[in-house]
Amino acid sequence: MIHLFPLPALIIYTLFVLYPIVSAFLYSLYDWDGIKRGVFVGLKNFVTLFTVEPFHEMFWNAFGHNVYYFVIEMIVQNGIAFGLAFLIYRKIRGAAFLKMAYFMPRLLSVIVIGFLWKLILNPNYGALNTLLTEIGLQQWAKPWLGDPDTALLAIILINCWFGIGFAMLIFLAGLQAIPEELIEAARLDGATGFRLLWKIILPLCMPAITIMTIFTFIQAFEAFELVYAMQGSMGEPFRSTDTLAVYFYRLAFSSAGGAGDVAVGLGSALAVVLFFIVASVSAVSLYLMRKREVQH
Amino acid sequence: MKQFRLHKVASVCLIAAMALIGCSSQGGEKAAPGTQPGASEGSGQQVTLSMHSWRVEDTEGYKAIIQAFEAENPNIKIDFKPFKATEYNTILNTALQSDSGPDILQLRPYAPGISLAEAGYLEPLDNIAGISAFPKDVLAAATGKDGKVYGVPLSLNSTQFFYNKKIFEQNGLKEPKSWDELIATAKTLKEKGIVPISFGAKEGWLLSLSHGVIAPASYSGSGYIDKLLKGESNLQSPEFLQSISRMQELIPYFPENYVGLELNDMRTLFATEKAAMFINGSFELEGLKKLNPDLQLDFFPMPTNDQKAVITTWVDGSYAVNAKSKHKPEALKFMEFMATKKFGELFANQFKRISAVPGVSTDDPLVNKMAELSQSSSTPYLMVVHFAEGKPTTKQALENALQGMYLGKLTPEQVAEEIQKSAATWFPPFKK
Repeated sequence: MIHLFPLPALIIYTLFVLYPIVSAFLYSLYDWDGIKRGVFVGLKNFVTLFTVEPFHEMFWNAFGHNVYYFVIEMIVQNGIAFGLAFLIYRKIRGAAFLKMAYFMPRLLSVIVIGFLWKLILNPNYGALNTLLTEIGLQQWAKPWLGDPDTALLAIILINCWFGIGFAMLIFLAGLQAIPEELIEAARLDGATGFRLLWKIILPLCMPAITIMTIFTFIQAFEAFELVYAMQGSMGEPFRSTDTLAVYFYRLAFSSAGGAGDVAVGLGSALAVVLFFIVASVSAVSLYLMRKREVQH
Repeated sequence: MKQFRLHKVASVCLIAAMALIGCSSQGGEKAAPGTQPGASEGSGQQVTLSMHSWRVEDTEGYKAIIQAFEAENPNIKIDFKPFKATEYNTILNTALQSDSGPDILQLRPYAPGISLAEAGYLEPLDNIAGISAFPKDVLAAATGKDGKVYGVPLSLNSTQFFYNKKIFEQNGLKEPKSWDELIATAKTLKEKGIVPISFGAKEGWLLSLSHGVIAPASYSGSGYIDKLLKGESNLQSPEFLQSISRMQELIPYFPENYVGLELNDMRTLFATEKAAMFINGSFELEGLKKLNPDLQLDFFPMPTNDQKAVITTWVDGSYAVNAKSKHKPEALKFMEFMATKKFGELFANQFKRISAVPGVSTDDPLVNKMAELSQSSSTPYLMVVHFAEGKPTTKQALENALQGMYLGKLTPEQVAEEIQKSAATWFPPFKK
């Protein structure tokens, strides 16, 4: 009887997680005429995705953006979040208030955030450019989301602002799990300031860092909502904000407005590739980083 | 351990079962038809037709039109059900595939809609009354490769230069009659500190739309389109290249930071009288008037190289009948109604748009002017009518390349090269 206990959850999991994955994998092996399934073509969709113009160009372009997304998030979001967590851990004044304040953006819907930041970054009446002009830095005012050099970075930084609170909480939990006596012992041995942080606290915080790194990786490679909310499904301007998930959406479900250019087979193939990238990199990095974790 | 293994076996079985279901459900799943049961067959009985559309915003307007039809046909009821435009295709496609499609459906124009006919989902409409009154290029929006007509065209869209009459008058300007006059007009406005053309490059579809307005000036009347469709010319020809260079020539007359502007920004600039001209479609009329009821709005057709003026038009959608509908005769009756002048007038007045039914006039002078011009001197929106195919579509390739041009990454020659490359992958005349 006890074996039936996980059944409801298992059914839901199978229906909404496993079934889509398996069907996407099957779809990727067929030829599609619009929404009609054609003949079995083996790996042809994958070959097309990686060898035929413009698909492979778009793939590598989007892939590069995902990597960039990950790197910036790691440095900016997780770097700042760890700093903030450390400050709160050291019990600076108003720690409780700050903890709440940093977490606030997380409470808003991504669509709302995209809309608000679009208003702030509007080139001609947005708050940011108005502010820059007011303080005499007109030459810095830019069409942030219309310039391919700044559009992606702007979106990533907004995502960092959004995610910092969550990362901070994870790090804070990691820091608070370190036994006080270990730090005390280190202090008695003469470790202070930076040395204490680097040699004692960081290694002991490794589980939290591992989790956050993998989390950030998955998030970066599945980046979709904010890009879609702010720049649409075409990766505009000039494909400079395209990510793999947006590219997938464009291939499998077509662009808004209903041009009939759906490519279910190619889209499924891309989804499978994306799945393997995320799964394999997560697994490998989990394995490598677990080895660096120390026990206390 | 034993427990754990049991779970494992159970889950493997479940996965296998789900995978099997996944494979088989592709086949012949019989879902319930979209109509009410028991309301079929036999005259005199109530029949309810389901009707799908992507115009959620038109729900109220359709009510009035459907009432007029129901008054004439008391035993037919129509259940109008609109879906979000961006999701309509997916919803419709899934419904058609599982045989649960509506009786009457709004059909996307040109290639995307025609592909449904080719997949066998639609009923040919060649024999319904009134269909032959439509011009051939209007019917082309729903004509299959077999030459049969699969949809009754609903409305025409036109794109043009809107302008602010008050600003033009205050600065002693007239509607330009040539490209040089257009540039001179823009220059005068710029010198007076007014934004000449409200334009933004952030949304790709507006770039191909604007190109659709400007391009015919370069090739209209030269037989270029005929040659293009026969494969005797291409998208790198001097005429076409000129149309792209002209898009570039207009840059000095765009607002500041135009690469970051969206439709909202452009519309606001024009409606608040900060900009004098605005390239957009007939579908913007209502929105502009709502934003600023005092706006002295007019438009001019595009002056061409051979001293004429043309308006870019295309069919915005048609209505079609599901080939598997249980109530085909009743659905066809509604199609006949949609081809009448009465329907056309109801539609045009209700929505302030150009009815596809020939000879319909409305109480809005601008709509009438658009309708007249689309009958006397229209030119097709090339990218929608002939180049909306390919993966990505050639239209999207043009949008992306134009964006590149406005960002200084591509020259007009490279833009032409890009779209020719895209069209060459699928456009039949280029494949010969």
